[in-house]
Amino acid sequence: MKSKISAKGVNVYYGEKQALKNISIEIGEKEVTALIGPSGCGKSTFLRCLNRMNDVIDICRVEGSIKFDNLEINSKELDVVRLRENVGMVFQKPNPFPKTIYENIAYGPTIHGLVQSKQELDEIVETSLKKAALWNEVKDRLHEIGTGLSGGQQQRLCIARAISIKPEVILMDEPCSALDPIATAQIEELIDELKNEHTIVIVTHSMSQAARVSQKTGFFHLGNLIEFDSTEKIFKNPGNQQTQDYITGRFG
Amino acid sequence: MNEKSHIVKSYEEQLLLLKDTIVKMGTKAEKQLELSIQAMVRKDLELAKKIITDDEQIDRYEFSIEEQVVNLIALRQPMAIDLRETVVALKISSDLERIGDLSKNIAKRIISIQEVISSELIKGLEIAGLKTVRQVNLVLNSYLHRDKDITENVWNSDEEIDQLTNSNMEMVLKKLETEKNQIQLTQLLFIAKNIERIGDHATNIAEQVYFLITGDYLEGQRPKG
Ligand SMILES: Nc1ncnc2c1ncn2[C@@H]1O[C@H](COP(=O)(O)OP(=O)(O)OP(=O)(O)O)[C@@H](O)[C@H]1O
Ligand SMILES: [Mg+2]
Repeated sequence: MKSKISAKGVNVYYGEKQALKNISIEIGEKEVTALIGPSGCGKSTFLRCLNRMNDVIDICRVEGSIKFDNLEINSKELDVVRLRENVGMVFQKPNPFPKTIYENIAYGPTIHGLVQSKQELDEIVETSLKKAALWNEVKDRLHEIGTGLSGGQQQRLCIARAISIKPEVILMDEPCSALDPIATAQIEELIDELKNEHTIVIVTHSMSQAARVSQKTGFFHLGNLIEFDSTEKIFKNPGNQQTQDYITGRFG
Repeated sequence: MNEKSHIVKSYEEQLLLLKDTIVKMGTKAEKQLELSIQAMVRKDLELAKKIITDDEQIDRYEFSIEEQVVNLIALRQPMAIDLRETVVALKISSDLERIGDLSKNIAKRIISIQEVISSELIKGLEIAGLKTVRQVNLVLNSYLHRDKDITENVWNSDEEIDQLTNSNMEMVLKKLETEKNQIQLTQLLFIAKNIERIGDHATNIAEQVYFLITGDYLEGQRPKG
């Protein structure tokens, strides 16, 4: 498996407090990597390292090397806007812009200059919504406001928005935590689809979701990456006792 | 591995109950096997009848285990060691059910044997039979105590039972050439074969227990069954 993102010796500090300790991990291309671990172990912090979202937190300091293909993500010279074009993100709480469904999707391709004509833009909006399994539900109300959709629809709208600019990598931070089982299944199906063209890293608190959607799973605990292996190995026969205690509900 | 308890006590209790049911079922199956050999040696028809009626208890254990396993999978979605615990219980219970069934079958055949059988033949069957009782006992202990070494020993000793079976069958076949109580002797052939198959089921259980403990499969060719 070709690696898409390669982190080596990553340390992250919030002021004095170290949130990630010497993390090294290879994220395989066109694979789904799940990150699991107890609350506060550093999953979201790690995810934010991958598109420099920690930059916006003043007290946050990131050390070590994170390569995206051959590009050093932590380099001062890096064009962060370009990076985020290639590394999209979906958050736990759906956060559509307070604009129409259409505008939510059209915004990214427009500001990144990916389209020449209105027709092209229409096409991107349609294919993104189709990929996110939302098209049929919204095709007649594209000019209604996005925040008027249900939670599950809003989350799929945010996924459609993320994929509209065709990022190579999609980061998802607990994307289904507010969704019902049907919407969750739709998103999981979508993740399966998306991995044909994208590399996906997903943080989830649902062990069964991690098991269902991912090929690799990493277990974090207290800022350390305790175990990283194939998802099958992690859920059938983990190599580390702490991993086993966590996934079987014996923690604490 | 020394496992911590689950945070959810009712889940912990359900897994312990499953383990406990397997041990009870195993103990009963082992007892049925042991008694069937005893009934054969002593030609104890009353005991043979009791074995036949008691077999139903083993079936009930099997049903209970099946129900527990389906519930665990549906309601708890067990992972890692718990998943292996659950799946392995289902497989072990079906091997134990077969051991019970084959023991019952030995008892039935004892009842249908009416003439006196040469003590030399019975002795050979007794030796093989007691050896399988020991195998079943050991493998149940390995399950109870999560002892990988014992499972490997059980797995490796199956060949002895196969050899004892072969020589028992040869002896019976030789007698068949010269004696006229052929129906009775044929029953002994089946008993010899039943004992061998019980040994195979003990071996299957050893494989399951090994997988339960290690998450890996026993290496190498299975001893010829
Ligand atoms: N903006 C911040 N300022 C200070 N400390 C922070 C900040 N963000 C996170 N932390 C600290 O860093 C550690 C890791 O937090 P992070 O949000 O990465 O955990 P997490 O694994 O995503 O947890 P959860 O599962 O609850 O989302 C925690 O101890 C947290 O308190
Ligand atoms: Mg988080």
